[in-house]
Amino acid sequence: MSDADNPATDAHEHHHHHHEGPGYVTPQAAIEESEPEEVAYVIGLYVGTDVDAPDFLGVVDVDPDSSTYGEVIDRVEMPNRGDELHHFGWNACSSSCHVEGLERQHLIVPGQRSSRLHVVDTKDRRNPELVKVIEPEEVFEHDLSAPHTVHCIPDGKILISMLGDRDGELPGGFLELNDDFEVEGRWDAPGEIEMNYDYWYQPRHNVMISTEWAAPKTYYPGFDLEDVEAGKYGRKLHVWDWENRTVEQTIDLGEEGMIPLEVRFLHSPVSTHGFVGAALSSNVFHFHREDGGEWRADKVIDVEPREHDGWDMPVPGLVTDLLVSMDDRYLFFSNWLHGDVRMYDVSDPANPRLADRIWAGGHFGPRHPIEGERAVHGGPQMLQLSLDGERLYWTTSLYSTWDEQFYPEEGEEGSVMLKADVNPRKGTMELDRDFLVDFGDMPAGPARAHEIRWPDGDCTSDVWL
Amino acid sequence: METYRITLEWNDGRTESIKSEPDETVIEAAERAGVALPFGCLTGACATCTARLLDGRIEHRREPRALKPRHREDGYVLACVAEPRSDCRLRVGSDVHGELVSNPWR
Repeated sequence: MSDADNPATDAHEHHHHHHEGPGYVTPQAAIEESEPEEVAYVIGLYVGTDVDAPDFLGVVDVDPDSSTYGEVIDRVEMPNRGDELHHFGWNACSSSCHVEGLERQHLIVPGQRSSRLHVVDTKDRRNPELVKVIEPEEVFEHDLSAPHTVHCIPDGKILISMLGDRDGELPGGFLELNDDFEVEGRWDAPGEIEMNYDYWYQPRHNVMISTEWAAPKTYYPGFDLEDVEAGKYGRKLHVWDWENRTVEQTIDLGEEGMIPLEVRFLHSPVSTHGFVGAALSSNVFHFHREDGGEWRADKVIDVEPREHDGWDMPVPGLVTDLLVSMDDRYLFFSNWLHGDVRMYDVSDPANPRLADRIWAGGHFGPRHPIEGERAVHGGPQMLQLSLDGERLYWTTSLYSTWDEQFYPEEGEEGSVMLKADVNPRKGTMELDRDFLVDFGDMPAGPARAHEIRWPDGDCTSDVWL
Repeated sequence: METYRITLEWNDGRTESIKSEPDETVIEAAERAGVALPFGCLTGACATCTARLLDGRIEHRREPRALKPRHREDGYVLACVAEPRSDCRLRVGSDVHGELVSNPWR
């Protein structure tokens, strides 16, 4: 952690002259030096359906010159059913670029429902292999369950946000793995936070920010307004002292910040700016550290609810995923219930400007965004952007039980993965009509598709010291 | 403890009859018999395995925390922590879980 102690010049010098290990020296280097992605890793789900098969990690061919472009070319089946594979991450990223011998080679793939942790070796990119499984009991020993966000952290370690205690109740916390993928223990002191969900750290500023969903036993079965009224869903941001692992400030986002989910700092390690989407309140907040050292968060984007034939209440915008382009110029977010994906110019992060949007599926987008292709039911959901910022991909499943409430067809027909070509210079997006990955067409039956990652790092996992 | 006969009924009309060993949950008995039922956490927190008791008696091995009082009053049980205490008839399959929660805005 010496880099974090000596910001600016020292850390930079060190990186430029002694770059070892995985990752890129700077976000700009990631843009300049990366090759276009050829495969994507995408989660496929059967949990909660009558398909008698375990969830899998799919390898999707995203190379337009390949004969299998847009197809799932390999699947790593997990050993058990019932996992609900959800968010997953790399063992190493640019935060560990000075660690000799480490490679960005292993994916840590948690089961959200089972609390089982899988380690997948991607040395052969097109044929990854499951190499280790940490069983739920070992996780429960640390009074934690429901793994969510996986980030590599400096020194080859891995940190996983955990949403519940061993019984699926509050409080949640964080689990730490070492570079041999063994459970090191609990990262935080129990009780620092009640609820947990996503987190992102910015070591140059010794800060981590975590968000809140709810207790697993609350959100696992499905979304119930009764639970919202009973205050069982989160609306706070927690600002941590990264080194001391203590919460230094808690920001209550209030009614406009119900269920703050994905949190993303800008990639530049000198920045203290970032964004968080409040799913239920249909808002995006901008946060940053003020001159006095306190952090503040302000609502900067508000998605208006829309009337829908056949619904008693207007359909709220549900901001379920968001990401920032590697050059920190654009914010993309998914509006899952409405059915659009949006692109905002955030060169002035306190004043985002809508640049473009694409409608596909959802409750207001076209059912067949690509003519002649299969129907798209769920709206845009998990997003991933190429490192050069020119290709945006998304899948349509949110969470199996929540899908069932809002898009029952998603379970019957499976998800799709779609893609837009992005022009960062003009601030525009266009749906790629030659690309649709049909997760409804899997050997065991239709699957839900969730998070997307590619081998050389992506816009939602790399952190720079 | 005795062994009991568990009759599983799906919404599409399919039925299976399996036997439970002493101290065995419905999910464990089904797995042993090679009958696939949906499940998730296996600790009573997630409701993926929700079934509806049509006949017989079950006891939950531990609290079915994913079920609200109204669900329990309606006869819903969690197959992952439910142990039969008599011969039982259960409605099962992934769509039973869907009855617990609906789209709140529709």
